This record gives sequence, C-alpha cells and structure tokens, in this order.
Amino acid sequence: MSTRRLFERETFLAPLLLSPVAVYMVLMVGFPFAMAFVYSFSNVTVGNPDFHMTGFGNFTAVLGDPVFRKSLLNTFIFTFISIGLVLILSNMLSELLTRQFRAKWLIRFLIMMPWTAPIALGTIGYLWFLDSVFSPLDWLLRTWGLLGKPHALLGPMSNMYWLGQPGLAMASVILVHVWRLLPLATMIRIAGMNSIPREIIEAAQVDGAGYYRRLFHIVLPLLLPVISVTVLFSTLFTFTDMTVVWVLTKGGPPDHSTQVLASFAFLKGIQGGDLAQGAAISLFFFPVLAGVAAVVLRIAKKAVVT
Amino acid sequence: MKKRYTRRDFLKHAGIGAASLAAGPALLDTVFAQTSGKRTLRILQWSHFVPSHDKWYDQYAKQWGEKNNVDVTVDHIGLADLKSTFAAEVAAGKGHDIVEFIDPPSDFEPSVMDLTDLNQEAVKRFGKQAPFATRSTYNPYTKKYYGFCHGWTIDPGDYRKSLWEKAGKPNGPETWADLLTYGAKIKNEQGVQVGIGFSQELDTNMAERTLLWSFDSSIQDENENVILDNKNTVEAVKFMAELYKQTLTPEVFGWTAASNNQLLLAGKASYILNSISAYRSAQKDVPEVAKDVFFTPALKGPRGTAMACEHVIYIAVVPKSAEKNADLAKQFLLDRTANYDRAMWESKLYNSPAFFGTALPGGDRGYPAVANAKTLRDLHNAWFSNDPYALPGERTDKLMPLKDAEKWSTNVGYPGTANPAEGEIFGTYVLPGMFARVAQGKQSAEESVKQAAAECKKVFDKWRAQGLLRKG
Repeated sequence: MSTRRLFERETFLAPLLLSPVAVYMVLMVGFPFAMAFVYSFSNVTVGNPDFHMTGFGNFTAVLGDPVFRKSLLNTFIFTFISIGLVLILSNMLSELLTRQFRAKWLIRFLIMMPWTAPIALGTIGYLWFLDSVFSPLDWLLRTWGLLGKPHALLGPMSNMYWLGQPGLAMASVILVHVWRLLPLATMIRIAGMNSIPREIIEAAQVDGAGYYRRLFHIVLPLLLPVISVTVLFSTLFTFTDMTVVWVLTKGGPPDHSTQVLASFAFLKGIQGGDLAQGAAISLFFFPVLAGVAAVVLRIAKKAVVT
Repeated sequence: MKKRYTRRDFLKHAGIGAASLAAGPALLDTVFAQTSGKRTLRILQWSHFVPSHDKWYDQYAKQWGEKNNVDVTVDHIGLADLKSTFAAEVAAGKGHDIVEFIDPPSDFEPSVMDLTDLNQEAVKRFGKQAPFATRSTYNPYTKKYYGFCHGWTIDPGDYRKSLWEKAGKPNGPETWADLLTYGAKIKNEQGVQVGIGFSQELDTNMAERTLLWSFDSSIQDENENVILDNKNTVEAVKFMAELYKQTLTPEVFGWTAASNNQLLLAGKASYILNSISAYRSAQKDVPEVAKDVFFTPALKGPRGTAMACEHVIYIAVVPKSAEKNADLAKQFLLDRTANYDRAMWESKLYNSPAFFGTALPGGDRGYPAVANAKTLRDLHNAWFSNDPYALPGERTDKLMPLKDAEKWSTNVGYPGTANPAEGEIFGTYVLPGMFARVAQGKQSAEESVKQAAAECKKVFDKWRAQGLLRKG
C-alpha cells in the first residue's frame, strides 16, 4: 500500500493525528497522577524517594488536620465566589463589548491584557497595590477622606491592611483571581453571542420583547453550552490554582485564613517535607473535579441547540 | 520471516532510549572531562542577599577550580526554589555535587552523604565549631553528619536611636518587657510602631522562636520530646498578644519576609528583628535612617534568659548521587572555610564564621589589613568594634553589641538538634498560627498552645516513625 493511500485511510490517520495528544496526556497528566496516587498511600518524604506503602494513613491524618479542613472550606469559598463574580462580570462586559462604540478594539485589547501577562508578575503588582503600608489604594482612600480620619467611612486607621485581615485577605485573593479569569470568560461569551442568529433576536424585538426578556429567555438559554464550558474551565482552573494565594498571602494571614487545597498540598508536601501527605491532599481534588466536569458536560450536552 | 516486535522489545528499546537521553549530558561531561583531563564540580546555592558576596564567591570558585584542575560551576537560585529543586534532583538521582541551604536540611538526611570525616577534619584544622552549627548538621540518633556548616548570620534587634532617646531609653530595649513598655510609649507619643511580624513567613517564624526561648520554653527538649504545652509558652503567647495590642498594627498579619526591612527603611519602625542587611540597605538607600539605626543583642525574658534564632545558617550537603565527586566537594568546602575572612568581608559582615578559630591566610586578602589579627575571631572583633562599612560621619561602633552573638544565638530546634519534625513545624507555620490566634482574639492562650502542641506531637510521631528522630 502506498504511503499516500495509507494517509487517506481514516483508521490510520485519526490515531496518528491524535497520538501527540495521547502521548502528552500520558506523560504530563497520567504519569504525575499515577505517582501522586502511589505516593498518597506511602510514607515517601521530600528527602527520601525510597518508600513503603502505608495504606490509608495519610488520608486519615489529613482529614484529622484542622488546617486541611479550613483549606477545603476556603477552596470552596474561593472557587464559588470567584466563579459567580466571573459569570456576572463577563456577562456585563460581553454585553458592552458586542455593541458598537469608538475605540472598541482598544478596550477589548486592554481587557485581554491580564490574560496575556504572566500571572505571577501580575500578582506581584497587586502585592504592591495591596501593601499594608504603601498601598496606593489606601492613599486614594485617605485622599478622598474615606480612611484615616476620626469619622471616616472606612475607619480612623491609616491603612486598610488588605492582606493582614482574614476577610479582606480572602476578598483580595478572590478579586485578583477574578481579574485574571475575566478576560477569557468574556471572550468565550462574546464568541458565543456572535454565534446566535441575529434573526432570532430581531424577531423577538419585533414581537415586543424587552432587553431583560431577550436576555433571560433567548440569549442566556442559547448561551448555556458556552456558559457551561466557561464554568467548567473556570472551576477546574480555580480549584487547582495556588499562584494568586501563594504570591499574595502564602495562605495567611494566620491561622491559614486564605489557605486553599493546592497551596496547602505544596506547603505540606514541599515546605513541610511530607510528600506523601502533600499527595494525599492533592488527590482530594480528583473526585470533586471529576464530578464537576461530568455534571457540567452533561448540562452542556442537553442544552445544545440543534 | 520478519521477527515480531513484542511488547517486551518495545519496553526494552524505550528504556534504552530514555536512559540514553537522560544520561546524554552526563556522558558528554565525562567525555569532555576525560579529553581535557579535568573533573567537574557543580554547586547549587541561593542567591545571597548581599550581591557582592556572590560576585566574589563565583570568582573564588573559578580560581579554586583552575588551581585544582577542576571545572567548577556555581548555580545560584532563589531561596524559595532551593528545596524543591534539590527534591527533584534527589528523585532523579543526579544533579549538583554540593547543595548549600540556609536552613538545616535534616529531612534530606537519607539522600545525602555522611560528612562525619569532613566535620572532624574541619575541627582539626579550624578549631571548635559554634555549638548551634553542630546542632544544625548532626543527628545524634542516627549519629550522622548530614551537612557541613561553615557560617551563619546574626539576628539582632535593630532600633531607631532617636525614637528611643525621646522615650527615655537611649540604648534601646534590653528586655522584652522594655520593648512592650517603651515600644508602646513610642507608638503613642511619636506615632512609630514596633516591627515584628505575625505572619506566615520566615522572619516571623524566627522572631517567635526567639521570644519562646527567652521565655524559657521551646517546642522540643534536648531529647526530642514535645514540651510546648507548658505555662511558659502560655506566658509568651499572652505577652505577644499584649505586644500586638500596644505596639503593632494589623498589617503584621500580612507581612512578607521583606516587610520589616521596608518599614525600617521607610522610617516607620522603632524596632525590628532582622540581620544587619536591613541596616546595610538603609546605608545605601536612606543614609539618614541608617545613621539612626543601632543594634541590641537578644532581649531578656522574664527570668533573664536571652536567646535569639540565627538568621541564616549555611549548610552544605553532598548528595549520595555525587559520591564519585565527594572528595572534591569536601576539599572545596574545607578550602572555602579556610578562606572565610573573604566571605565575611564581601558580605559586608552579613556572614559570620562557624569556626572562629580559623587562622587567617597570609598575603593580600582584598581588604585593609587588620593589625594583630591572627584568627577569624580577631578579625570579627576588630570589624564589629570598628565597622569598615560605616558611612562617612557615621559612628563605627554600632556593631559592638553583636561581638559575642554566638553566645546568645542558637538553632531552630533548640535546646535539641534541628530535625525534620522541627523543619516541618517551621515550614508549615505552626507557631505563627499559635501566636496569631490569641492576638486576633480567636482563642485563649491556653487553648491555642494546646492545639499547637497537639499538631507538633503528630509531626514528631510521624518523623519518629521514619527513623530520623529518637524513639519517644
């Protein structure tokens, strides 16, 4: 059989084209996952790769750790609030950005910027922005008389201490994460909106449907598959991310007020030297994320408009 | 007939291919080394806080290589990446020949060589080692030296003299009680706070150990039993909560390791716990603040005990995977120790020697000769009495109170040795949590100490089961 004919055969070409993905998945996802799985049932440490199996000991130890329980709760708070904000804000932004106005391309470009910049760099910028003493945000608040005076709205202290107070620290971490995710979510939604046939919207307009009726009864239902994909990606991304938390707070302020599972796995496994417990913590992601993926994909499949 | 390509064949060939890829660079090294007749020595260490040190050190390593017919490469990486990088090298079974940490790498003990012979030879050549340096490199239970310590950094109190003069304590605090009384007075009357962290970071971890030891408590005793839950710890935690209320602001809960330096440089701190690098930065960037910065030794606790955590401790390990180069590594480390006067000078006195008795090499040493100085001790005393890096018009005797710092400095794990359990407790911020819960009013001191002690006990039990700690 000639090479050309071989390449024309679907049974040959399809596996060939998919093979790089398969190799990537095995090497970059499957292998680390299998390692984490084995490690989580062992007594391996960061300084000693030789190990023996210890059963479920790491899981029981992790479940009995108050910091783990706090990190788990923080992870859900961090994820759900972030995703909620991303959905609402991306909805608003995409509504604005699909309308015609001057310098639209510039605004779109600026909105995409956070996605193109390395996240660690962007977050370091926020570290300065939210600094306990030199925060320019605090300076603005003081200048506007909202802070640093006896009867100021935000209090008499000179600074807000964004990263020093548990509630404000969690809010800061969430806001930086939303800033990072928003561009992608917005662009996905804009792409979805562009795919809605204009005739449907125009027909609804002719029938007298107002903005909110069109939004809730036409646009959002038609966008459900796209929104589901956004939710899926954002959830997976948020649940497993530690960059923003690590750069901004290292899980602090004490006692682990913004610690999330990903950062706690690193803290325990690498900084603490207990690789086995670090692996056990990271494995807690798997059932949750697999469940989220299954549910969201099911919703998306049902909602596909044919 | 064509031979069938079996799964076994595939695995065999894939294995050979992978091994060839992995071993390629090493094979090339060997080939080049054999061609040139040179051996190679690869060193991994942190990027020093004082850049002039690394500039000198890289040059020194190169010259040492030329003298000994060895290709020496020095890789500097950020402090935060050191542990994870070495962990990857341990897992891969290959990497650098010497890895230098700035905290005790006791959890790597199973993967590094026993350096007993090197430590014994160093004592023979350079005299007694500072006791806390030994406690940071030796495991008395396994009787193994897992590291070699050549130097360390002092962690004094840095105070603003003008503020303390106005408050009626011109020479700064002598006790923790002074810090509370006068620190509060300065904050109330002059609007400048004390700068001690309460956060999940390095300096807070050290400051809280310093306080704990000065209040006659510790996480473990000499025999690696957890003794944290006692009345002295409760007293220390209550004191720290009071110190927070009267002299600090909520910002200290969100600090990074650089925050206290920044506060001092901005003229917004009356007292911080940090190495002299904060002062050296001020000399460079804000000389008017630097001229006002003076130093105190460890503050005394309620019963007169005064201890401080070393700020940095330089510990080199030789991985088991580098066994074939162990002789070179040991020779390099011994020679480096013999040349420690240069490390002290080039680090602007940030580095202090672990072997004060080391004889000074003769000849031009790259710094103005010090009359009658025969050992590092003489040099240290001379420089700390008359700081060669003082600014023009600045007092040169500011470092005097730190001359005998090795007497009141100690290691993480004091009064016992550094060990993986102490390392994990340090790395996962158990003490910052214990102190902060009380300062934030979330728990009583007694409850918080009990919770922290229970966490520590679990960690100790776990590492005991690994065979790296004494049996309880």
